[in-house]
Amino acid sequence: MMRALAIGGFLTSLALFAVLEWLARREGSRIPTLGEMCAYVMRYEVGPVPVGRIGLFGFWWWLGWHFLAR
Amino acid sequence: MEQPRELTVEAPRAWDRPTFSIPVLACLSLVGGRFASFSTEANLYVLGTGGLLIWLGLSNRVPRRPAPTRLGSGAAWWVLPIVVFGVFEGVTFVVSAGDDFPTFSRLADPLIEGQLIRSVAWFAWLGAFWELVRR
Repeated sequence: MMRALAIGGFLTSLALFAVLEWLARREGSRIPTLGEMCAYVMRYEVGPVPVGRIGLFGFWWWLGWHFLAR
Repeated sequence: MEQPRELTVEAPRAWDRPTFSIPVLACLSLVGGRFASFSTEANLYVLGTGGLLIWLGLSNRVPRRPAPTRLGSGAAWWVLPIVVFGVFEGVTFVVSAGDDFPTFSRLADPLIEGQLIRSVAWFAWLGAFWELVRR
């Protein structure tokens, strides 16, 4: 029962990502695509340090290591 | 005579085209799919490919697409799937009930054990990484 709940929750979350991306790609949509969200986050800088870029790259690197190497 | 910057169009470099990048990423993914979890090879390969992409992304060697200066008013909708995922991941992690109430990682691990699916996962990871580098 609890296992089904966890699987359902994660599948719901993934479905929401897919639906939002689909909605964002429609003409005239006010929802930005996930790529645009990432690009916006990566613009964030503190002085000369591209904090947003480093943070997102670091997160994605960790994610690959977590799933593909650990 | 030098042209003003705004009048020139930069031709895409050969290695920046999908006809080049997709086969390269596919080859890298097929190699990555051969390495089992917890192996030294897998760790070194993730560190190597990820490190190379981070170096490319932080240097100015890859042309980037223009980033939006403002987000549309619907940007807040993206909080919804992130919160749903975060709540389930957080609760399953804290409860630590193993397979009875598994975390996302515990659910994904058996799925990416096979070499083919593992290569597909590698391709998804590297492809998304390459897209981030070009943003």
